[in-house]
Amino acid sequence: MDATTRVVTTLILVIALIGVTIFTQFARRRRAAFPLRAIPAYQAIPLLVGEAIESARPVHVSFGGVGIGGLSTALALASAEVVYQTARRAAIGVDAPIITGSDPTFLPLAYATLYRAYGSRGRADRAPSTAVRWYPSLQRTGGLAFAAALTGTIGSEQVSGNILLGSYGAELALILDTASRGGRRSVAGSDQLIGQAVAYGMATSPLIGEEMFVGGAYLGDEAGTLAVATTIDLLRWLLIGGLAGSIGFVVAARLLGAA
Amino acid sequence: MWSRRACWVRRDARNKGLNDVGRLWRILATAIAISFGLVTLAGLLIGDGLFNQVAGLFLQLAAVTIGLTILIGLLNLYTVHLNRLLQRGRGSLYSLVMLASAALVIGLWLTNQDESNMILLESVQVALESALAGLVLFALVYGAYRFMRGGVTLSGLLFTAVLLIVLLGTLPGDHVIAQVRNWVLAVPVSAGQRGILLGIALATVVTGVRVLAGQDRNYRE
Repeated sequence: MDATTRVVTTLILVIALIGVTIFTQFARRRRAAFPLRAIPAYQAIPLLVGEAIESARPVHVSFGGVGIGGLSTALALASAEVVYQTARRAAIGVDAPIITGSDPTFLPLAYATLYRAYGSRGRADRAPSTAVRWYPSLQRTGGLAFAAALTGTIGSEQVSGNILLGSYGAELALILDTASRGGRRSVAGSDQLIGQAVAYGMATSPLIGEEMFVGGAYLGDEAGTLAVATTIDLLRWLLIGGLAGSIGFVVAARLLGAA
Repeated sequence: MWSRRACWVRRDARNKGLNDVGRLWRILATAIAISFGLVTLAGLLIGDGLFNQVAGLFLQLAAVTIGLTILIGLLNLYTVHLNRLLQRGRGSLYSLVMLASAALVIGLWLTNQDESNMILLESVQVALESALAGLVLFALVYGAYRFMRGGVTLSGLLFTAVLLIVLLGTLPGDHVIAQVRNWVLAVPVSAGQRGILLGIALATVVTGVRVLAGQDRNYRE
């Protein structure tokens, strides 16, 4: 890592830390001071869970290829927050949500999240251990075995709807195709660009880019998750400002040089 | 009555004690996780010296721990599919095939028949997944059709126009559409890709900082 990258990284980390700390304190006191823009996918999730409870069918939530310990750890934690909020809502129903993933490191996180969600409703003993499912897949074939397993699960378990947040490639098309043929709603987002494009075109409610990381702020009512959403917005605006400033500086330098 | 009340009081005191112990364990676990995280971050940022060596050691430990999750995965796989098989639910035939395949692969590995295992992998699984890859194309085409059938919207029109330009632009020859395709891929598509990736990167940093600050739900509950 060269010196410039190190300085910029440290600067971003410091801004993020200050942002998260300060915004958490502010959000605890005045939650209304942090309005969130509407994201249709997060508006759809409570409806999707409600439909599942009424029809006594499970909701399917998938981590995709994300897990703990790699580059996708942060996305795994963000997905776990959505799993928590979904399972917490679904805990009052008959069927527990089905939680799937292809990276084995997602398992401890998924189990802990499921039991915590059911525990928050005082029903920790009702959380079935078979609700969390690992479908291994070969890395070199890009998660196709995982996609095939999910298409089977969606059909055989008669899931009510799908929430697919994680790392997916083009194989996401197979899962979403199966979902749409069965008339099931799906919320989907991926940290891979190909998966992102497929989700945008085929999911009922897609999530784009950083929207995947703010599920806790939209589905829950915690100050910390709200602070994350606000800090991401702050950093994004700083980045836009920085880019615009750089472009302005280069243009001005060229104009002055030409003069 | 008094003895029952004394029993309740004793039970409450015992539960309170257990809660306190649980809370202490949580605080200890949080402190360890944050310390390890901060030392690893410092090691990666500083680049060399003692911190970097310690960070490397932590990363190796993490790799070993991650390796152990394969065992949890296998246990999960067997539990889920045995359960489905015993309950004779829908798809129990698939579970039977899965359990038999897994048992065969483990059996071959235990008897040191790695070559047979590789044949199974290359001739069965890779071949099946390659066939499945062919299906992805049809799913994508059907998805594009469904997207355009959903009604005329600005994003739908844009999607269709770009799709047509990209497809027609791949035709042989140096025609105008090929040049437009190259420009579309080099400028707006590239800008969009970078925008999405930058957004994901920033969100990853903020989520990581939240974990390092001990605010994640896994620490608190």
